[in-house]
Amino acid sequence: MALSDILPDILFYLFAALTLLCGVLVVANPFSRNPVTSAMFLVLTIISMAGLFVLLHAFFLAAVQIIVYAGAVIVLFLFVIMLLDLKEEQRRKIKLFGAVAGLVSVGVIMIISLKALRAARPGANLPAPQLEGGTNALGQLLFTQYVLPFEVVSILLLVAMVGVILLSKKDLK
Amino acid sequence: MNASLMSLEIWVIALGVVLMLADFGFGLAPERRRFLAYLAIATLGTLLITNLGNYTTGTAFNGSFVEDTLAVFFKRFFLVAAMLVLFMSVEFSDRIAGGITEYYSLIVFALSGMLFAASANDFAMLFVSIELITITFYVLTSFQRGRLISLEAGVKYLILGALSSAFLVFGIALVWGTTGQLNFNKLALVAAQFETNKIFLLGVLFVLVGLGFKIAAFPFQIWAPDVYQGAPTPTTAFLAVGSKAAGFVLLLRVLFTALPDIAKHWADLLIVISGITILYGNLCALPQRNLKRLLGYSSIAHAGYLLLGVAALSVSGQAALLYYLAGYLFTVVAAFLVICVVMRHLDNEDISALAGLHQRSPLLAVTMTLAMVSLAGIPPMAGFFGKFLLLKAVIQQGAINHNHGYYCLAFTALVGVVISLYYYFGVIRAIYWSPNTPDLSPIPLSGPVKFSVCVCIAGMFWIGLFPSVVFNLATEAAKALSL
Repeated sequence: MALSDILPDILFYLFAALTLLCGVLVVANPFSRNPVTSAMFLVLTIISMAGLFVLLHAFFLAAVQIIVYAGAVIVLFLFVIMLLDLKEEQRRKIKLFGAVAGLVSVGVIMIISLKALRAARPGANLPAPQLEGGTNALGQLLFTQYVLPFEVVSILLLVAMVGVILLSKKDLK
Repeated sequence: MNASLMSLEIWVIALGVVLMLADFGFGLAPERRRFLAYLAIATLGTLLITNLGNYTTGTAFNGSFVEDTLAVFFKRFFLVAAMLVLFMSVEFSDRIAGGITEYYSLIVFALSGMLFAASANDFAMLFVSIELITITFYVLTSFQRGRLISLEAGVKYLILGALSSAFLVFGIALVWGTTGQLNFNKLALVAAQFETNKIFLLGVLFVLVGLGFKIAAFPFQIWAPDVYQGAPTPTTAFLAVGSKAAGFVLLLRVLFTALPDIAKHWADLLIVISGITILYGNLCALPQRNLKRLLGYSSIAHAGYLLLGVAALSVSGQAALLYYLAGYLFTVVAAFLVICVVMRHLDNEDISALAGLHQRSPLLAVTMTLAMVSLAGIPPMAGFFGKFLLLKAVIQQGAINHNHGYYCLAFTALVGVVISLYYYFGVIRAIYWSPNTPDLSPIPLSGPVKFSVCVCIAGMFWIGLFPSVVFNLATEAAKALSL
């Protein structure tokens, strides 16, 4: 088997493992309780997810993922973290009950998903999918078939913007 | 493209924008801002009469937007709910520190999300409309920034809502990944061949998790009491009525338009969820002293009763569900209106604050009594006939399918009703037979409050005593679903 055949598989497992690992380190880092470290691991999670998008030929989505999330959103996060005084957050202990409940539910969901995957064996006898994720194809779909959800999202953004101003403005009249 | 079908949604969104700009442009004096709410109510009332009076059915945007009898039923429901909630928020406006105009316009935007949900016919629209509703409610819930409990409610709702959205999106991705269809009608055509595909079923299950959160069904009900208690009262009312109904219309569409073949196999799951939800809501409501928290638990129980109609998997069950929702609208709004007016100067909404209400304001006392009687399901109020229809649908289905689960479910629902009598009558007892009544000063009622209270009472009696009109509408609406 040529390397070019198995390379996508290798890259998929690499990026997927990185996504999961970094995702865990965002919320439960055993070495550091510093929010800045968490935010930096979030950047790594997002970048490895962008890698997954590239493997699905969704190049535009991958680029947006890096520019918007890894770039703009994380910078905002870091600003907020540094502006707020988060020493209290650092000292807080993890509650045992919450941790156990969370682990159990994640475990159950994982077992169910794995069983479903094993029973269904997706892609066992499917032809290779036609992948198309360039800007052109995305734009075509977004402005024809999915134009209504796309427009509704604009209202959602307006609501979110108004809400943020209302909840964060110093004094409202 | 048949975009004229959604003229109602466009009008409502335009109204939201106008409300937001009006205060900005004219710089209205604070006491004048309530006229903006009256303007909104008048516009919504006009839309209810003109736009939904004679509607045309059809689909638009490649079938992702559907206008049928079910959508129209729910749109009327949402418009009436929003109008009553706007009346309530005018009454509540003195307790909101700033941005009351934005509060009105956010209610209108949440309404637009609900209207889109009523017409959503594919998973993209389902997700977008749910998010529009939920994100608006995050803001509406934490609107009283000065109160810690309101902020806490907002944060809890945000975190759990985001989690449930994640499940919903994951489910939609799995469904799309296995079938390649997002449209409900197209999905119905191919769903039968994926009946045994475990990944597809997992996707459907995750979608149901997301919707279960919206309707506060067990085991996704954890957020409801805290959020109901902390949120400003009009928000709570809208959450209890509008947001729940939006969850139910989407649940009906997903189960019965998109996946009727799958739904048939899941009767047992629905029966179990419905039964546990009823018992959980009613049992946890028993020790509550905070009235809004009590209504939060009671709304969980009512989600369970409504799920009876879903679990019945029949047209009569769905019609009963819609009928029950219509009665529930007036009942719950009436209860929250009374809370909003009576507990004006109180920090916590303890039941004891109702003491001597029949001397302070007979109208409010009667309203609260009728609302509790209707919630408990005692004739001749709306709640009785709704529960009767739901139980009838469930028992019928049990007789047809020889499924004993249905009989157990009907029995559970009856037990739930008996339990609920205790705490609903606790509220009535607090009004009329409280031993110590510290405050007997009369409560002044403004004209709009009197009007909306009377509308609620009329609605409760009308739906209970003359069920035929609403029931025919509900039956017509249920026929739009393919099961």
